[in-house]
Amino acid sequence: MSTQPVAGIPLSAAVFAILLSLAEREKHGYQIMKDALSPEGGAVRLGPGTLYGSLDRMMRDGLVAESGVSDDERRRYYKLTALGRRALAEELERLDLAVRAGRSLGLLPHRSRS
Amino acid sequence: MTGDSVEKLYLIALRLYPERFRLAHGPAMLQAFRDGRRDASLPRRQFLSLILVDLAISLVKEHLAMMREVFGRPALFFNAAVLAGISTVLALALYAIPQQVLRQGANDPQIAMAGDAAARLEQGQPPSEAIPAESVVDMARSLSPFVIAYDDAGTPLASQAQLNGQTPVPPHGVFDYVRAHGEERISWQPLYRNGQRVRIAAVVERVGGAHPGFVLAGRSLREVEMREEQVLRMAQLAWVAMLGLIVVGTGVFGWYTRPRTA
Repeated sequence: MSTQPVAGIPLSAAVFAILLSLAEREKHGYQIMKDALSPEGGAVRLGPGTLYGSLDRMMRDGLVAESGVSDDERRRYYKLTALGRRALAEELERLDLAVRAGRSLGLLPHRSRS
Repeated sequence: MTGDSVEKLYLIALRLYPERFRLAHGPAMLQAFRDGRRDASLPRRQFLSLILVDLAISLVKEHLAMMREVFGRPALFFNAAVLAGISTVLALALYAIPQQVLRQGANDPQIAMAGDAAARLEQGQPPSEAIPAESVVDMARSLSPFVIAYDDAGTPLASQAQLNGQTPVPPHGVFDYVRAHGEERISWQPLYRNGQRVRIAAVVERVGGAHPGFVLAGRSLREVEMREEQVLRMAQLAWVAMLGLIVVGTGVFGWYTRPRTA
C-alpha cells in the first residue's frame, strides 16, 4: 500500500461527509444525503446537485466508484475505493490531531477512557 | 402547492444544469428528490429550503465546471494566444508603417529647401538674400515651410519664421551632429509649455565655404501628427476587433469541440 499522502487533503466538508457515509457500506444518493445531514455525519447540508457534482469529481479522482448494484435503475449505489478509504483515514487523522490540540489547550473537555 | 407541481418545478430546474451533467445525474437527482419528499423524518420545509439552496449553489458550480472543461483546454488557449500574438503584430504594423510613411513624407519639401539655401550661402550670397523673408511664418500657427540660417556658433543670421516674436535655435547637440555628419533630420520641439506645444519636422544642413554655418528648413508637424493619431485609432480599433473575433471564434470552436462524455 502506498504511503504517499493523498492529494486533496484537507477535504472539503462535502467530500468528507460523502466518504464518511460510504465508509460504512455502499449507499445510494439519498442515503448519503441523510447521513451527511446527521450530526455524526458532519451536519453537512448536501442537496442532490451538490451531492452528484461532488460524486462526479470524486469518481474522476478515484475516491469513489459506482458499485453497479441497484434495486432501481434510477438509484445508483456508490462505494469507497482504496484511495477514498485512505483519504478518509488521513483526514480523520488530521482532524484527530486538531481535536487533541484543542483538548490540550482546554478548548474541549477531556474525555475519560471507559 | 401540490406535490406534483413541486416535482414539475424541480424537473424544470434540472433542465438548467449543463447537458453532460444532466444526462449523467439527472435521473438520480430526481430520485433523491423523490426520496427526500417521501421521507417523513425530514421536515418538508427544511427539505425544500435545502433543495432551493442546493439548486442556487450547484447550478452556478456545475456551469463554471462545464466552462472550465469546455474552454480551459490548453490547446484552445495556445491557439487563442498565438492568434492574439499575430493580431497584435499586425496591429502594430498597421500603425507603424503608415506612421513612418507620414513622418518621412513630412520632410519632403524641407530636404530640397535646406539643400538649395545651403548651396546659395556656399556660393557667397548674403543670408538675407539667400533666405528672403518676404512674409514671416508664425511657427505656432502656420503650416507653411520655412528656412532659418545660423552661423557656425548657432546664432540666427536670417529667418523666415518666428515663434513668440523670436527666432528659435535648436539644441546645440544638433549642430554638433550636423557639423560631423553633414545633415540631420529631426522632430524639433521648440516650444512646450503651458499646454502649448509646437513640433517641427526639421532638416538641418551644414553650410561650407568661407562663412560656415547651418541651414534649418522646417514645417509644423501638427497636421501630420493628427493623421498619425487617426492611424493609431484605426489600428487600435482593428486590434480590438481582431481580439474580439478571436475570443468569439475560440468560444464557438471550444463549444463545438467540447468533450462529450456521457
